[in-house]
Amino acid sequence: MPGETNNGMQCNEFEALLFDALDGLLSGAKQGRFRAHARVCAKCGPMFAEVEAGQHWLKSLTEVEAPANLVHNILAATSGIESYRLQEAATATHKPSLGERIREWADSLLTPVWSTVRQPRFAMSFGMAFFSLSVALSVAGVKPSDLKQADFSRNGLRRTYYTTTARVVKYYENIRLVYEIESRVQEFKKATTPAEPGPAKERDKNRKNNSSGQPEPRQERNYSREENQPVLASNPEDPPAVSVTTIRRFA
Amino acid sequence: MEDAQIVNGLVRRCVAGDAVAWEEIVQRYHRRIFNICYRFAGTSDDAQDLTQEVFIKMYRTLSSYDVERGAFMTWVTTMTRNLLVDHFRKTKQDRVTDSIDAAPSEHEDAMPLSERIQDQAAPPDARVQSREAKEAVHEALQKLSPELREAVILRDLQDMDYREIAAVLKVPEGTVKSRINRGRAELARLLQRIYKQVM
Repeated sequence: MPGETNNGMQCNEFEALLFDALDGLLSGAKQGRFRAHARVCAKCGPMFAEVEAGQHWLKSLTEVEAPANLVHNILAATSGIESYRLQEAATATHKPSLGERIREWADSLLTPVWSTVRQPRFAMSFGMAFFSLSVALSVAGVKPSDLKQADFSRNGLRRTYYTTTARVVKYYENIRLVYEIESRVQEFKKATTPAEPGPAKERDKNRKNNSSGQPEPRQERNYSREENQPVLASNPEDPPAVSVTTIRRFA
Repeated sequence: MEDAQIVNGLVRRCVAGDAVAWEEIVQRYHRRIFNICYRFAGTSDDAQDLTQEVFIKMYRTLSSYDVERGAFMTWVTTMTRNLLVDHFRKTKQDRVTDSIDAAPSEHEDAMPLSERIQDQAAPPDARVQSREAKEAVHEALQKLSPELREAVILRDLQDMDYREIAAVLKVPEGTVKSRINRGRAELARLLQRIYKQVM
């Protein structure tokens, strides 16, 4: 109870000295009286024990390490500069040469392009394009060894141009010669083959050879004919000479 | 005093636009501020975000710091404390804060905190040294009311004197001592309750 005297110390005096006692500032007789009061006082004793235990628990907590990237994040969020210490250390130890700077510049340009190209959809497209190009080149007869030996000087390019032109002209002339010979041979065949297969036979042959996919004229007429339309006897295979004769008779 | 002069010099250089001085300030104080935030907020992620917020605010308002009005450390801690209080209000953490005199409920009986303390036979002093015991203390600290929590953090974890704490919390020194007393006692009760359950 407040005001109660135990071992020569009152409770309010005990409370006043509590923080000094907990901070280890009491000494000698004062500390003895304080401890004695804590032992005998039913109110102050348990209170002191609790507070001392709480302090003990709290003091057991050690300082935690901050995350490694915290300083970097703070500097990036405030001054926007990553770390002057690191930057200065880097510049002091190593100055980049012109080649390195060019390489860095090229890297800064190419890295985003390369990261885009590496995406699967682009990679597949480029793969297909490369495959098509290589097939086209092999069909055209272009060899990589020819490209290696190519001379890119002015005279070399001129020589390559004339050589290529000559090759194309020669190829064209050869093709023309082949076609001419072929056409001559066909003419010769026509001249030597016995003539006149019959007209009906020829028509049959034409019909068989009709690969245009168009239906026969007769079929067209049949499919387009209406039901009440009179069916006229006709023979499209007959020559038109018959009708001509009929007209003459009535006239 | 020498340290205070160095810090004041850094602040002057920083206000003048010296980025190296600002980095030096960040290097000096980030760990301390992170620890205050971690012990108050409870999680490392929240503490990281709050520490960044403190430095962002500090960077913007550094020119308003007056050397005559108090130590830089007190100014920084006040700023940290204000942000922590704002954070506490936003997250409404007081809903889960235990009352000092509340009787242990059935929910508390099933507290996972006690399950983590495995070495039941060991004496309390030995348990304090263990990681599990430290985690238990850290969790019990989160159960204190924010007024008591900030007082004990500044006193027992940051070793600030009562006058400085009074300046940071903007309350009289007597109130500071009372809060520290109550905070320590409540923490001890919470932990004793846990240990009684597991023993």
